Amino acid sequence: MNADQWLHAFAAELHHDRVAPEDIRHVVAEAATHLRDGGGDPWTVFGPPDRYAAVIAESVGTRPAPRPGPVLLHAEGITKRYGRRTVLRDAGLTVRAGQIAAVIGANGCGKSTFLRICAGLASPDRGQVTLAGRLAYCPQQGGTADFLLPDEHFVLVGAGRGMTRSTARRAGRATARQLGWESADPVPARQLSGGTRQKLNLTLSTLNEPDILLLDEPYQGFDRGSYVNFWDQLLRLRDAGRAIVVVTHLLNQLDRVDLVLDLTPAVPGGRPCTG
Amino acid sequence: MTERRGQWLRGVLDLCVLGLLRDHESYGYQLAQSLDAAGIGPIQGGTLYPVLLRLERSGLITARWREGTGGPARKYYRITESGQAALGRGGPDWQAFATSVTAIVTGGVDG
Amino acid sequence: MHRLSTVAEMTLRELVRRRGVLLLLLLMPLAFYLIRRDAYIGQSVRALLLGIAWAVSTAALFTTGAARDLEPRLRLAGYRPHHLYLGRMLGLWVIGLVIAVPFFGLVAVDSDGLRYGGVAAAMLCAVAVAAPFGMLIGAVLPRELEGTLLLLTVVTVQMLLDPAEAGARLTPFWSCREIATWAVDHTDDSYLTRGVLHAVAVTALLVLAVAGAVSARLRRRRHVRQLPVT
Repeated sequence: MNADQWLHAFAAELHHDRVAPEDIRHVVAEAATHLRDGGGDPWTVFGPPDRYAAVIAESVGTRPAPRPGPVLLHAEGITKRYGRRTVLRDAGLTVRAGQIAAVIGANGCGKSTFLRICAGLASPDRGQVTLAGRLAYCPQQGGTADFLLPDEHFVLVGAGRGMTRSTARRAGRATARQLGWESADPVPARQLSGGTRQKLNLTLSTLNEPDILLLDEPYQGFDRGSYVNFWDQLLRLRDAGRAIVVVTHLLNQLDRVDLVLDLTPAVPGGRPCTG
Repeated sequence: MTERRGQWLRGVLDLCVLGLLRDHESYGYQLAQSLDAAGIGPIQGGTLYPVLLRLERSGLITARWREGTGGPARKYYRITESGQAALGRGGPDWQAFATSVTAIVTGGVDG
Repeated sequence: MHRLSTVAEMTLRELVRRRGVLLLLLLMPLAFYLIRRDAYIGQSVRALLLGIAWAVSTAALFTTGAARDLEPRLRLAGYRPHHLYLGRMLGLWVIGLVIAVPFFGLVAVDSDGLRYGGVAAAMLCAVAVAAPFGMLIGAVLPRELEGTLLLLTVVTVQMLLDPAEAGARLTPFWSCREIATWAVDHTDDSYLTRGVLHAVAVTALLVLAVAGAVSARLRRRRHVRQLPVT
């Protein structure tokens, strides 16, 4: 992990610890100048990012966790069969504004199907989904047009809500930058690396400022720095009051989320992870 | 740095920082170097900055970002009046404490 | 209107960026035209029209396939189904015209004594029908290989079928042949009239079918209840 990656991880941890954004900017900038002045391995100078972030959080104080807002997504009794195989049985999930829910489970247990049903892109055999707010969906792959440039994607998606070209381009580039990607280069989507295309995919889903964000394993092909940026972004969106559902197979990320829905067949329905 | 020195330092690092800031403002890296030069030993950023943040939060020092001479913007710390007062109380306290400890460990006290 | 024109624009941009595809789209009608050129001009004009029809419907088929994964996202981003299919169709019609214009010039230079208004009308019909035709195949057959094979079959049948046969009227590009006959062989005006009528009817029918297929795929599902945002 080089200094930049350490700083990214550190910033993400501070976000996670709910340190005020203003303080985060200062503390991270100060640590960066210190590393630049003194050289040195951040792991020796400051220690592991999570531990140092915890110490800083204790020193500067943290914001109280915002009380989760109103329910934005409520799915109940979702049952889906493909032929004689039941992939989802009575699955349910309730996500409030300001919460991140993780959908986990073995391969083929219906994670993507559940998400598509929540997005209204597929029909369940039984069950209901109630949405209070605008929804965006980031598919696992294929949510982009091979021969369009990133800017053209922004314009196309932005126009859906009446954004002008320049507004859409600006918003897209700003979001991309938060994911550590400078998207202004005129490169068609097909020539982007897998990870960068996923960043495009992700940028498109947040472009219209949705209230509810559904993400289907959105970080495939991300390197470590991008991955940290991704969670950083997700926590920012959560703190801005979005309801986020993310399909994941990376269980070590579960401590960052507020709810877990395990779709492994042995566990019917959902179980809340924390209060 | 030995573990013991680390423990001692934990108790007096804030006083040392206040002492260094008594006459002129300074920034984190420079403070660390001054502490090292004064013989206290290398202080890592991970130890120093939380102390600075706590001092800032309790109003004993203030901080502002400004461009250094030819360098990038840095966060400069400056002692406040209540910081001066705290140093004025804490300095003699430490002195008295250190004198007692010295006396004991060098066997200069009877009985 | 903004949404419609944006989809049309992006369809155009996508196609124009694929230089190779564009070149092949021009090559196909040209080859059709040249292969019959040494014989009778009427044959080459008819072949040319089929070439244009085929080129445009293939382009329509593939853009529809390529947009398949993107459209649900656009739907969620605020587009209605008709923005998506009409916008795409508009873009394809423009591309079709761009392809047709140089060929009209070619025919005008390369022949004499034709009813050139008729040649232009036949080209317009070919383009008008081809875009929704390709899109419909793309919408109904999601895999491109199947779609391409079906397209190949239809165009070959069209080419080999005697236009006088009753069944010929059921083929999508019958109108082009009728109008071309009027233009080249100076037949009576009934050829033109029924050709144009056929083209209008087929285009309308195909647009409706595309609308049905796309709207069904992108419909609001019944299990989703959208509460008013407070």
